[in-house]
Amino acid sequence: MSEVRTLIVDDSSVMRKIVERSLRQAGLDTMVVHEAGSGTEGLALLKENQVDLILSDINMPSMDGLEFLRQLREQNLAPGVPVVMITTESSEEHVKQAILAGAQGYIRKPFTAEQVKERVLPLLNVA
Amino acid sequence: MAVSLRESLQLVSDPKNLDASVEEVFTMMLGIACERDSEPLVTKAESVTAVVGFGGLLSGACLFKSGSSTAIKIAAAMTGMEFAEVDDTVKDGIGEICNMLAGAWKSKVPDLAANCGLSIPAVITGREYHLHVQAPEFKLVHVFRFDGASFEVTIICDGLQ
Repeated sequence: MSEVRTLIVDDSSVMRKIVERSLRQAGLDTMVVHEAGSGTEGLALLKENQVDLILSDINMPSMDGLEFLRQLREQNLAPGVPVVMITTESSEEHVKQAILAGAQGYIRKPFTAEQVKERVLPLLNVA
Repeated sequence: MAVSLRESLQLVSDPKNLDASVEEVFTMMLGIACERDSEPLVTKAESVTAVVGFGGLLSGACLFKSGSSTAIKIAAAMTGMEFAEVDDTVKDGIGEICNMLAGAWKSKVPDLAANCGLSIPAVITGREYHLHVQAPEFKLVHVFRFDGASFEVTIICDGLQ
């Protein structure tokens, strides 16, 4: 498949690396990765770069993942780009909040590369 | 109807939930199989402690504690990198392990998962420090080992509604 431009938003640099590695294991080995340590940084990156996929943590300091998602939609940044939330929060209420805010997918930490593949590839039409 | 966790105290404080959470996080994220250790954790040199707070219907914290060599080993397994000391990346990795342990633990009880939030992880390094919580509702302290390394995971509940 062609190169997938991906934005990973997480305040943990270790988690960003793990998410990137999982995506590569899932078959996205030629992707270009942009990393952001906060929702604010993620929004700034999206003003300068086009992406095909966004993965974001929810529980982050300053601007959390849900607010990042709301701002993304309000500012009409990355229209039509699938957003997948990756988080330790797993209740139905949290999933509902993410979907209402505009997320297309939800992955609970801890996760396997296989789960990332199952949740992300269908959104890129490469399942 | 208002949700109460007090009626589910036995379920919330079930020690099996903590063991299952450790197994889930270490197997899925690190490919490491851990075993429960009956001996208490001994950290002679510098130790690393990560704390994630619980707030909501349950207040308290999840703590992960290990010696620096174990913390380095875990961070190396997470990142595929080598570390000579407990640097910011190691601390970041241990904070995330604690975050996932806290999330996995609360997810074992649906009412807890839905009504209890997690704080951002904090990581403490140093020697010979002790944690004291006055009269907690319950406290679980489990020690685990893998590949010659050991660590301790503690769940402290100091308030339950």
